[in-house]
Amino acid sequence: MTEANPLEGDSPKHKFVLGSLFASASLSVVASALIIYTLAEGTIEFFLAEEATLLGFIGGGEWVPNGRNPRFGIWPLLSGTFLIAGGALLIAVPLGVSAALYLSEFASNRSRKILKPAVEILSGIPSVVHGFFALLVISPFIRTYFDASYFNAASAIIVVAAMILPIIVSISDDAIRAIPREIREASLALGATRWETASRVVLPAARSGIVASVLLALARAVGETMAVTLAAGSVASLHLDPFREVQTLTAYIAQVATGDIPPGTATDAGFAVGATLFILTYTANTLAIGATKKGLGRKPGKLRKSLGNLSRTARSAISSFSNGDTPGRAPFDPLSPNSTDLKRRKSEVIWRRLIGSSLLLGMGFLTILLHSVIKAGAPGIDLAFLTDYPSSRAHLAGIGPVILGSIWLIALTMIFALPAGVGAAVYLTEMSRPSPINLFLRRTIQNLAAVPSIIFGLVGLYVFSRMLGFGLSLLTGSLTLAMMVLPMIVVTSEEALLAVPKGFREGALAVGATRWQAVRYHVLPNAVPGIATGAILSVARALGETAPILFVASIFSKTAPTGVLDGFMAMPIQIFFWTRHPSQSFQDLAASTILVLLMLLLILNAMALFVRNRAEARRSW
Amino acid sequence: MKKGGNISVKNLTIKYGDKVAINDVSIELIEGKVTAFIGPSGCGKSTFLRAFNRMNDEIIGASMEGDISWMGKQILSDEIDPVLLRRAVSMVFQKPNVFPISIYENVAFGLRIQGENEPSNLDAAVKQSLVDAALWDEVKDRLYDDAYSLSGGQQQRLCIARALAIGPSVLLMDEPTSALDPIATAKIEELISTLKSKLTIVIVTHSMSQASRISDHTAFLYLGDLIEFGETKQIFEDPKQELTGQYISGRFG
Repeated sequence: MTEANPLEGDSPKHKFVLGSLFASASLSVVASALIIYTLAEGTIEFFLAEEATLLGFIGGGEWVPNGRNPRFGIWPLLSGTFLIAGGALLIAVPLGVSAALYLSEFASNRSRKILKPAVEILSGIPSVVHGFFALLVISPFIRTYFDASYFNAASAIIVVAAMILPIIVSISDDAIRAIPREIREASLALGATRWETASRVVLPAARSGIVASVLLALARAVGETMAVTLAAGSVASLHLDPFREVQTLTAYIAQVATGDIPPGTATDAGFAVGATLFILTYTANTLAIGATKKGLGRKPGKLRKSLGNLSRTARSAISSFSNGDTPGRAPFDPLSPNSTDLKRRKSEVIWRRLIGSSLLLGMGFLTILLHSVIKAGAPGIDLAFLTDYPSSRAHLAGIGPVILGSIWLIALTMIFALPAGVGAAVYLTEMSRPSPINLFLRRTIQNLAAVPSIIFGLVGLYVFSRMLGFGLSLLTGSLTLAMMVLPMIVVTSEEALLAVPKGFREGALAVGATRWQAVRYHVLPNAVPGIATGAILSVARALGETAPILFVASIFSKTAPTGVLDGFMAMPIQIFFWTRHPSQSFQDLAASTILVLLMLLLILNAMALFVRNRAEARRSW
Repeated sequence: MKKGGNISVKNLTIKYGDKVAINDVSIELIEGKVTAFIGPSGCGKSTFLRAFNRMNDEIIGASMEGDISWMGKQILSDEIDPVLLRRAVSMVFQKPNVFPISIYENVAFGLRIQGENEPSNLDAAVKQSLVDAALWDEVKDRLYDDAYSLSGGQQQRLCIARALAIGPSVLLMDEPTSALDPIATAKIEELISTLKSKLTIVIVTHSMSQASRISDHTAFLYLGDLIEFGETKQIFEDPKQELTGQYISGRFG
């Protein structure tokens, strides 16, 4: 033990620890700066070109990047984006809010235990899998009933709706469940039915959370890339016909990424499109944060409208209350229903069934999706498929090096992201007090989480691959993915840390531990299961992610990578290319690969569940 | 005002799962009187109270046996719709639980769901209820303000106004002043004594002095059993049961 003056300040070691934790927390700022730098530089480069003008970009109604006379008017891409995002919201908002309301207000504990995980499974399906489903199952279905083209917006709208549904359900569900039980009891005690309580008291009280969920879903829908690229097509045209082909902002960037766009101005245009996309999603996200900040009802005036307005046929209880018994009326008998009460009972039953059926619709979607993938993919899976390389002859093709590539990629990603993410979480929750800097870091992380994944791809290409010279390598791919999963790890780690009782810290501090010692010996060990759960779920997320590595992954290789600067293939990328293949035998290979990917995701989720349950069972506090 | 007659409880047992919260209680509540339920924490007072408007139906795992008859009907039977019952047997809770909407809409809510949307009727009912709850003078200029802008005591009186607006015959009050300061408590107690001319009141209270001040009858419950029931004066001055005497003199509880 050192003989130090007990009242002396922090030791050098302590300062070093604090410094590294702060550095971890600042990484999100670095990542954000890289995003802005990339988009700004690329956009400037684009506008320096002869063919591109700011006015033409903002005001132009034609997007023709190729050919002798290219035109870069953003509106066709914007209309495509809004057709798909708007259509998806139109489907997902009523369904999602109904489902959340049903789950929290009407579902029994048992059915909740089945339905909630089903929603979580839906949210865990990678977007490239939704793309496969949209293009090869939904689109043929639509084409048999409507006059639609092979690529069409409608099929993309349906899968994007399914992708944002879980966001709306889970955030709305949280908001609804946060409404105090007492308020529900007050309504019931006044003779409101369960549906009246849910729709007129609970829902309005939870509206700020619901608005936030819709805005976040909007940001997600606007930023969605793979499903839209696969299903909606690559023709940018200004129309709102869901049965025709459209191109979205994200799909154009993906087109740049897959090398279908010639280098030069058309490729640089991808950065300007990326900047536009970034501004749109950033705005939606900022509005969402603002919406969650608003507390319970601050605008009674508006609510007056949302309450009330039932039929006027009813007799009022009040005339008898304020004026005494009215002569000629039936004798006082509150326990027998009058005609209004009968109507209320009927509407209670109808509404319950209606909102309950929204969940069935989601389950139905999930079932059909899994069924079609299994039907197309299961016959192709054997040992040869799992070990061979992706040959250009379908019957010889396998995904051996592709699986290994994914494992390499994810392992490296976690090596970068896990320490940084946990460090940032420790800094934010344990080592710093609320301050403007802390708030800024938090806000940055929140915003980083909402950046569309394809934009990370642009950063990977521009910064890691070109500027830093890492090329099209595992290192570039994993750094790109690490940026993307970082916010997720920070948030889940923070939750794990906050779940450790305050008393542990105070107990340690009271016997003279430094803040870091308290965290190191008494908080972190108890937060490990929670952090591990979050890390496993981040692995699952990164494993299914396609868009950010679309720029940097190899299209073909016979062998798996052997070093960090090697090129690599990954499962979602392979699924993407095989799904786009015109021949059915390759599309079936895509289905087989999807099955392998879904199996891995299932195993990861089971692991997360196992870690969480075991920790809960063993926990003594 | 329609008081609806006495409420008679016969052999009422309430369980949460296997745990017995109220054990074979029989009692007769007299119309137009204030009946207080007293007893130490966890004795089942609130559970008992929630039987009269079937709020126990909302608790998963709660089950009730026995009869409560009122107005010639068995109110615990499946034939009685709790939604209709609660319109006649209204309730005020322990903590003020106003809706996060305007003062006016809080009071109007119970009427609106019954289909009353005529502005003049609603205005009249809201005003009358607020007057009856002794809140009108304090809020008449701010009826469209958020109910959360009121103080705790005002919020509780708003809850009473809200409960009165639906024209109940019985008002259940579950420790309505436990979250309030002494001044707000005094106001609510005063209100109770004026309201009892209009309806039957059942109040659960932790405070024995409150029970002795405001109630006509008092029931002492202990560990789910009804130990003693009688006129408040008799219970407090001449308890028949030893346990009642011990509790009232503060030897446990």
